[in-house]
Amino acid sequence: MKETLQKFFKMDRRWIFLVLAVVLFVPIMRPLGLPNKTISRDARNAFDYVDALKPGAFLLLSLDYDPSTRPELHPQAVAVIRHAFKKNLRIGVVTYIAGSTGLIEQIFETVPKDYGKVYGTDYVIFPYMANAAAVMTQMSSDFYGIYDKERNGKPVRDMPVMQGIKNYRDMALVVNITGTSILDWWVAFVGDKYNVPVVGGCTAISQPGYGPYLQTKQLKGLIGGMKGAAEYESLVKEPGKGTSGIDALNLAHLLVLALILTSNIILLIIKHL
Amino acid sequence: MSETWMIAGGWMAAGLTIFLFSFLYRDNPFFKAAEHLYLGAGMGWWFQVYLFNIWKPKVWEPLLSGDFFVLIPAVLGLSLVTQFIPRISWISRYGFTFMMGYGAGLAIPATLSTDFMSQIAGAIQPFTALATMTPMMIFNSLVVAGGTICVLFYFFFSVEHKGAVKKISNIGIYFLMIYFGAAFGNTVMARFSLLYGRFDDLYTFSGANYFYASQILLIALVAYFILHSFLGGKKTEEEEPAH
Amino acid sequence: MKFIKKQIPLAIVMVTGLLMVASYYIPHKYSVDYVELMNKWENIVSAFAFLLGLVSLFYSHYGKIKRKADGWGYSLFVYIGFLAMVVPAMMTDGRQMVDGQVTSLGWSFRYIYNALSSTMFAVLAFYIVSTAYRSFRIKSRQAFVLFVAAFVLILGKVPLGQMIWDSLLGWTGQGVADIIEWIMQVPAVAGKRGIMIGIAIGAIVTSLKIIFGIEKQYMGKD
Repeated sequence: MKETLQKFFKMDRRWIFLVLAVVLFVPIMRPLGLPNKTISRDARNAFDYVDALKPGAFLLLSLDYDPSTRPELHPQAVAVIRHAFKKNLRIGVVTYIAGSTGLIEQIFETVPKDYGKVYGTDYVIFPYMANAAAVMTQMSSDFYGIYDKERNGKPVRDMPVMQGIKNYRDMALVVNITGTSILDWWVAFVGDKYNVPVVGGCTAISQPGYGPYLQTKQLKGLIGGMKGAAEYESLVKEPGKGTSGIDALNLAHLLVLALILTSNIILLIIKHL
Repeated sequence: MSETWMIAGGWMAAGLTIFLFSFLYRDNPFFKAAEHLYLGAGMGWWFQVYLFNIWKPKVWEPLLSGDFFVLIPAVLGLSLVTQFIPRISWISRYGFTFMMGYGAGLAIPATLSTDFMSQIAGAIQPFTALATMTPMMIFNSLVVAGGTICVLFYFFFSVEHKGAVKKISNIGIYFLMIYFGAAFGNTVMARFSLLYGRFDDLYTFSGANYFYASQILLIALVAYFILHSFLGGKKTEEEEPAH
Repeated sequence: MKFIKKQIPLAIVMVTGLLMVASYYIPHKYSVDYVELMNKWENIVSAFAFLLGLVSLFYSHYGKIKRKADGWGYSLFVYIGFLAMVVPAMMTDGRQMVDGQVTSLGWSFRYIYNALSSTMFAVLAFYIVSTAYRSFRIKSRQAFVLFVAAFVLILGKVPLGQMIWDSLLGWTGQGVADIIEWIMQVPAVAGKRGIMIGIAIGAIVTSLKIIFGIEKQYMGKD
């Protein structure tokens, strides 16, 4: 008995890999039909803040994630952009992660068409810039000191989307979606220093770390991980990859719990045999 | 993008994805090739982003239009590369010290305000509205303030941890454990989300419109492993199983 | 020579750093102009820092190929990957979309870089599961507290877990989502805030040491 249990405990971990692959792949082929139902306080606050902005207000969207965190953050970005377009906000997109540039192109290839939005009038995409802190600080005094052209080299100063925008004072909100510490920088170098409201979107890994900023309202709201994406999608009433993702994660989550409990029970039995 | 290119893309992406996943079964040449391709592609992508977003518009074009002032940061930046030439590596200090000075100078006041003062204020401030708080809100605020102090005791007090100090810092450990537990729980979700993303793409590429790229490539790789184990498939040092 | 090699760089870090700190608290036109200039310079200097990684990677793989070291053939793929991004970028002037059509650069991103980068990190999901099975030991009270917090989070973040909680513990009147909210907003905030304040003090002290030339390891040896 003891030997059998020990053998089971020390099984080839590739069996565990296989089980995980199955429990995650099968719901993609045959969805369970169990979408996300609860909405967290922070996701609702993020939604409410964007929702309360007046049409025509300027939203600075900092999209700082690359393919390595795409499944969590891309649906968040899409949901926020859909919300902003629905509310007729103007959007300026900046990025400080080189890998983001391709993902930003993918979003704006399709989403604006759904709302009849025009490049240069309703939204504009700025080029990648190095050293986020330096650029954030620069935008506080003169936005065009760093972003005089959009990502394909066209001058931006006279674009309708940029009318009346010189620095943070002219912007209604900063939304930063990132898998890095750039969100901390937006809070420290921009939100706190220049009194600009900042809303965040982050990976589930970093979500618990933003609790203090949320309590002090240094962050006005936070979309956390795939669940946050699903929450925002349901608030905007635009189900997307976040909603289908949560459905697929159901079984895998239970598998982890079962494995942790099984291994601890086995060890407990072995100890007492 | 023509349909042919889209299908070719599906095969390319499905192949690279499956090659990288194949390491989970055993190290193999397909994984190694894809892994090295990743290093190069990452660098290549960054290189072209830097080239077309910064070096060209922010350095090269200003220089062509006679703005030689931009040479100062460009030379400081290029000085960093001298690090690879031991005889003149000291030149790189000019670039590094500029970056360090700028970064440190920017960080001090911001960190002091955001992560220090505001956090202390955040622990105290709720008590200023005591009269309007429910008992639960008061309890929660006490837990946050008390917990923060306990954690600080655990981290900071360089006096020997015994007696009351030990008790307080022990409570601090429990708060840290709850935080780490929450972080672990969320990490599980984050990692699964990333895997879901890849599986979702593989599922897309398994469709008839991609000529069943995922299935065919997967079967081909399984066939390789079977053949490899039959035909002199002794385990070489570099093809150890992944456990 | 010591003056050029050491003292001037140390003076640069001190002057740049102190002026940056001062400009935070002095809202004067001169300080704004100074910060603007530094921002623009820093943006360009940082962009060149990328070359450090590029040269280092190329140099090490070039060495492998030259020496015909074990597995040198794989090093060729580093250069192939690099060219797979840079050649399309040169052909398209760095544009991923032209007239609503995806260019060869956009194609390279979507089907090569995206697949490689995201899969590299997705693989970690498998390891976190096997590590959870093999190494997550509930041996002490502290480990038990960590486990309970993790358990609640993993269970309550998915609808199926919420349903299981409701059927087993629904009688308590507390939904698992409410408990997660409480953990994230109360004890986890206390834990993280303690860490945050600790790191802040450490960061400020290190920054001061850098500015005043006490910490200069980053400069390398003489």
